[in-house]
Amino acid sequence: MVKTKCWATLLPATLLLLAACSNGNTNEPSGSASNAASPSGTASASANDGGSSASGLAPAKLTIVLYGDESDRMKELTKSKFQDIVKQEINAELEFQFLPWSEYGGGKTDLMLSTGEDFAAYTDSNYMAKSVAKGLYADLTPYMDGAAAADMKKTVDDNSFKAFQLSGKQYAVPVGNKPNSAEFYSVLVRQDLLEEVGMSSVSSLAELEQFYEKVHAAHPELIGYAGTDARRMLMYEYTDKNLYWLNDFLAIDESAQDDKIISWFETDEFKAYAGIMREWYEKGIVPKYAATNQPQLTSDWNSGKAMFWAGTAARPFEGAAAISQAVPTAKLVNYFLNRDLPKISRGTYSTAWFVSANAADPERYVMFFNLLQKNQELYDLFAYGIEGEDYTLDANGRMTRTATDELIPDWLMMNKNFMRFDTSVPDDFIATYKAWDDDAIISKAAGFTFDNSPVKNEETKINGVFSEFLTPVSSGFVDFDKNYPKAMEKLKAAGFDKYMAEYQKQFSEWYASQSHSQ
Amino acid sequence: MPYKENRALLVSFYVAIGLFSLICLVPFVLAVSGSLSTEAKIAADGYSLLPRGFTLDTYRFMFSSKTEQIVRGYANSVMVTVLGTACSVLVTTAYAYVITAKGFRYRNFFAFLAYFTMLFSGGTLPWYILSTKYYHLDDTLAGLFIPYLLNVFLMYLQANYFRSIPHEVVESAQMDGAGHIKIFFRIMLPLGQVGLVTISLFYALQFWNDFYLPLMLVTDEKLFTIQYMMYYMMANIQFLASGNAARIGGAIVAPPLETAKLAMTCLTVLPIAVLYPFLQRYFVRGIIVGSVKG
Repeated sequence: MVKTKCWATLLPATLLLLAACSNGNTNEPSGSASNAASPSGTASASANDGGSSASGLAPAKLTIVLYGDESDRMKELTKSKFQDIVKQEINAELEFQFLPWSEYGGGKTDLMLSTGEDFAAYTDSNYMAKSVAKGLYADLTPYMDGAAAADMKKTVDDNSFKAFQLSGKQYAVPVGNKPNSAEFYSVLVRQDLLEEVGMSSVSSLAELEQFYEKVHAAHPELIGYAGTDARRMLMYEYTDKNLYWLNDFLAIDESAQDDKIISWFETDEFKAYAGIMREWYEKGIVPKYAATNQPQLTSDWNSGKAMFWAGTAARPFEGAAAISQAVPTAKLVNYFLNRDLPKISRGTYSTAWFVSANAADPERYVMFFNLLQKNQELYDLFAYGIEGEDYTLDANGRMTRTATDELIPDWLMMNKNFMRFDTSVPDDFIATYKAWDDDAIISKAAGFTFDNSPVKNEETKINGVFSEFLTPVSSGFVDFDKNYPKAMEKLKAAGFDKYMAEYQKQFSEWYASQSHSQ
Repeated sequence: MPYKENRALLVSFYVAIGLFSLICLVPFVLAVSGSLSTEAKIAADGYSLLPRGFTLDTYRFMFSSKTEQIVRGYANSVMVTVLGTACSVLVTTAYAYVITAKGFRYRNFFAFLAYFTMLFSGGTLPWYILSTKYYHLDDTLAGLFIPYLLNVFLMYLQANYFRSIPHEVVESAQMDGAGHIKIFFRIMLPLGQVGLVTISLFYALQFWNDFYLPLMLVTDEKLFTIQYMMYYMMANIQFLASGNAARIGGAIVAPPLETAKLAMTCLTVLPIAVLYPFLQRYFVRGIIVGSVKG
């Protein structure tokens, strides 16, 4: 009958489309799934360009996931020069895939890992620990001692490799090699202002405050410190210990040879520190709006409206670019207040590459990571582009970039063996920078990763207490005596003791398993 | 006398609505004025209702470097919205018709089948595998609307409109020899217009605002929709501002310029802001026509 005929047309049509619906549960694999296997074996390279070192390698395809924006120049170079070089060197076809930062360490990255896609991206020790537990990262140990990784073994610090090992296996390959000890333990001072008020250097808290008062008298519109956390730069003032913070709550003392975890907020040092911060807040060194509008502090600093900031090895020249737009005469110098203890380093790497467990050819990925840090020529190409088109070099190897488009991000590549400096960076800055890590020690916690799964609830709760009650106390926004007891009460109620005990337990176990000989 | 009362009431309504609209307008004006200011002034003095140091440089910059992307983003968004709305309205009404057709024995089963997916879903991971490995929707334009073709809630909404049409109308058509296709297209759809307008509006909004499907299924920049471009930018900024960036080797990545961000916002919003008053008239008329007829 007509009726049945109509059903026969309407229903299947509807159902067919429904099958593709997001929560449609009709998951009979109607399509042919045979050719849906992973794209690993797709060898689309027909003509082998026959590079010297690529001979003997079967064609492979590499997908590298990067986070952030892809610049136009990056697109261009990927299609041309990058492809050619990678093809020639390791006979691989290279593809970069860009994702928003929100997908880093989760989100789509997790989906891609779980569905067994063939790719590599960068990671950190937390994300690595989680993913390795689920078996999502390829074990790269077999390729580390061979020719695949030979060059980067020379240009990347050995400790960096250790930091990405779990029970002796290499699950991620570190990238970058830059002096980064004592991050935020120094005071980055506007040297131009310092000299303007007749001072030459800053070496103690008293001098720092004197600097503020003198500049404040001359330029009342400027704020003092463009931050709310100064525990590191002030550390040499309020304690003899060499504290290294594992997170917001916990620290270790690097000058002691033990595995003791310190509960930062319960120490006398914290009380002393909070006292200084309260004074700074009342004096106006930290502006009143810092309590409600922290991002404003960073833009204040960038527009030259602040006197000092927390320093890192690279900030004197990294930060100068932004400030000199607003204040062309600005000059930045790092000072330590009363430092007599070694700087602490977490390792010199920027980040590390992992390879997905389903990758068809993990070794080829390792070869690519090796290329990135192989020699000056390749580093220049991947970080800066083509000489003459993207940058020019002067006789001293100083660089002037003619294109502003970012290629493989600077922060990721930074390797002191290869990195180039702008012509505006003074020689003594470079010398200081290169020697920055000379007296540094590697933290005794370097390479340790905390597995938070047993205390996940507690962690969420204490993080809430931290931002609501502890930050105002430690940044000096509220009176210490009135608010500290209540904040501690809340912290304990949130299960801090259990969290701390778990942390101590894991750290002690890990510490005992390491043979420590610093 | 009642007229006077009304007038007083009317004036107070107008004042209230006027004030409310002004409040709603403030963020928009801030965005527009910010996009017309110079970056240095914004960094130094913050936002204001009038542009600080008026300049068109930001737009010049956007159009010199991103014209192609923006135009392509728009084209994709429009395409997805039009195609997506048309297809999903067809699928939704067809399904709604089937489960309301009196002569169809399994209608309750199919109604339940759809309802079931409202309560239970496979979750993101199976969905992702299904979409990419079996249906190969990744990096295709179809992938940007096919997964959303049937919204069960809207389907039930439409089914309710169909149910409100007297069955006698259908019966008499059948007696005159009309088949289901004819009944569906010539009787049910015109009479169910009210519902049709409603669900079209919902679908169109959903497709226009969607950034999830491009996020999940698209890596080819040629298929980015304007919303996804916006989301991409905001996600990057938020990540950098949240301090998470410190987790990875002290990444110092320069966030996009404040003014560029605002210019991008204006470019995304403006065409819709211009179009909406006109579209709205049609929507309102459609609903009124339907309500009188119904």
